[in-house]
Amino acid sequence: MEGARRSYGLQSPGTRGVAGAKRYGMVIDLRKCIGCMSCAVACKTEFGVPLGSWRTWVKVSDKGRFPNTRRVFMPRLCNHCDYPVCVRNCPTQATYKHKEGFVLQRYNRCIGCRTCMVACPYNARHLLPAKRTDNNLPHMVVDKCTFCVHRVKKGIVPSCVQACVGGARIFGDLNDPKSEVAVLASKERLTVLKPELGTSPSVSYIGGDWEIMDEPHSYTNRTEQLKEEFNDYKRNHEGDAFADIVEGEPTMPQIGEHAIGFLKTIPHKAADVLKAFRIFLFG
Amino acid sequence: MEESVVTFNVFHHVAWGTTISVYFWLVGASAGSFVISSFGWVFGIKRYKPLALTASVTAIGMLLLVPILLTWDLGKPVRFIYLLLPGFWHATGPMSWGTVLICSYPMAMGVYTYFVIKNDIFWARATGIIAIVLALSTHWYTGVVMELNPGRFLNHTALAPLLFLTGAFISGIGLLVLILTMQNLVVAAEKRIDWKLLIEMAQYMMYGLVFDAFLLFLEFMQSIYGSMNVVLGHEAVLMGVFKFPYFWLEIVIGLIIPFLILVSPLKRNIYAVVAASFMVCIGVYGMRVWWVMGGQYLQSFY
Ligand code: SF4
Ligand code: SF4
Repeated sequence: MEGARRSYGLQSPGTRGVAGAKRYGMVIDLRKCIGCMSCAVACKTEFGVPLGSWRTWVKVSDKGRFPNTRRVFMPRLCNHCDYPVCVRNCPTQATYKHKEGFVLQRYNRCIGCRTCMVACPYNARHLLPAKRTDNNLPHMVVDKCTFCVHRVKKGIVPSCVQACVGGARIFGDLNDPKSEVAVLASKERLTVLKPELGTSPSVSYIGGDWEIMDEPHSYTNRTEQLKEEFNDYKRNHEGDAFADIVEGEPTMPQIGEHAIGFLKTIPHKAADVLKAFRIFLFG
Repeated sequence: MEESVVTFNVFHHVAWGTTISVYFWLVGASAGSFVISSFGWVFGIKRYKPLALTASVTAIGMLLLVPILLTWDLGKPVRFIYLLLPGFWHATGPMSWGTVLICSYPMAMGVYTYFVIKNDIFWARATGIIAIVLALSTHWYTGVVMELNPGRFLNHTALAPLLFLTGAFISGIGLLVLILTMQNLVVAAEKRIDWKLLIEMAQYMMYGLVFDAFLLFLEFMQSIYGSMNVVLGHEAVLMGVFKFPYFWLEIVIGLIIPFLILVSPLKRNIYAVVAASFMVCIGVYGMRVWWVMGGQYLQSFY
């Protein structure tokens, strides 16, 4: 059952259960996920997702103590929320909710303000870097999972679903009662991430473990190694005005470094302004 | 029960940084100085008239830096134009409203300043009222931009705009005291602003500090009785990685010490008042820092 239908800005009202309409969604059966990360790799290759950014990834946690242990996996991606905060907050209508369920990004409108990244509760968005291996690809705009809309429109499942070894990712039209995803959605016990935020995700999980799904837990119960890797990531990033603070190091000098980092990006931004003026004046 | 440990996850960036916090500080200080500027011309408190011009020029100056910072923060600066085009403007995005305010507020301030220079009482008052509403709204919106992110627990509070406005009021006065002091040191004796006026302004700042402390207390209470996210936000973010901007800058340097100065007999000493103003300005910057970056910090681990 859906709650009251709300609609904000560029968000087409929910089509879940509406006769004749399609509503795409994904169910992830965590009992079948073996943590091979094929989905993450398939996605990276499908879109050439840059180093340090992810459209989908797999989080891993270890439970219990020997001999009663279990390794738990949780594939993550954009939830294609029915009430997406990212869409509401975008100032240029660059991101929108498609009536068939996709939350999509329009690069030609995105100004790279990163409001949507701040708004998304699931870290599902990233800023494409200024320099890419192929500079014809979009850069300095925000990008996210598209549920492989280009494939779905041709009747093929998303890349991650196709690559999934364990058959854990099931994608399809939730409005089609015969589709595998609709059958699972009706028969299984499903959970979603952060249901309390009212985003109403289109990605749900079977067999979720609360600890790996919990935000405070993800912070407090990281392994030491993960902490170090995280800090390295934050120390080493190159980018435009990101504000990562490394734990255990004094904050204010780091903020000073961000300011210097920001100043360092001025040459390429200035080049961009000059290019825009050149095109404006001389075509 | 043995708790599980997260052994692998990917990493995410905190998207808004120093530039945005500097911008919030500038907009706040601008709105605050503008409020003081309007005391004389809009609210009719005559003794404030002499400093109106300096105050509104300070406000305009602060605000002129803002578009530069913001457009450069976009990465490809020219794209800021999209924010102003009707086909792009998105009414549910707080930033869309912010753009309208950031564009209209300096214009209104400019017109007001023109009438102040012309000494036209009626029009200065009329345009002053419009400008003051825009000044407050411009800063109100910065709070709203942070607030309307339900996933950022430290920011998602209805007190956000109020905290931002109080910060604006006190940092605006603080900045103005500093600027007027410098002005007094360079101009001829007969053009100086009465030191007593600066001391009086600092007393308004003191009331602002009390209100700020009250709001902070409300937030603190909510955070320690809140959901695990907020509790952790308090423990690991505010009293953890962001302890320096939150506790030392905002609370100790920006609130407690200036408050003690401004209630003790030192409040009649202009040197002490200037020092307190300086500390308040820094303290409010500390608040801007943790509001922008601290709210996003925890979630970048999710
Ligand atoms: S998961 Fe994030 S990016 Fe995806 S639709 Fe929801 S709010 Fe938007
Ligand atoms: S970064 Fe792009 S998509 Fe995101 S809010 Fe800004 S303009 Fe919209």
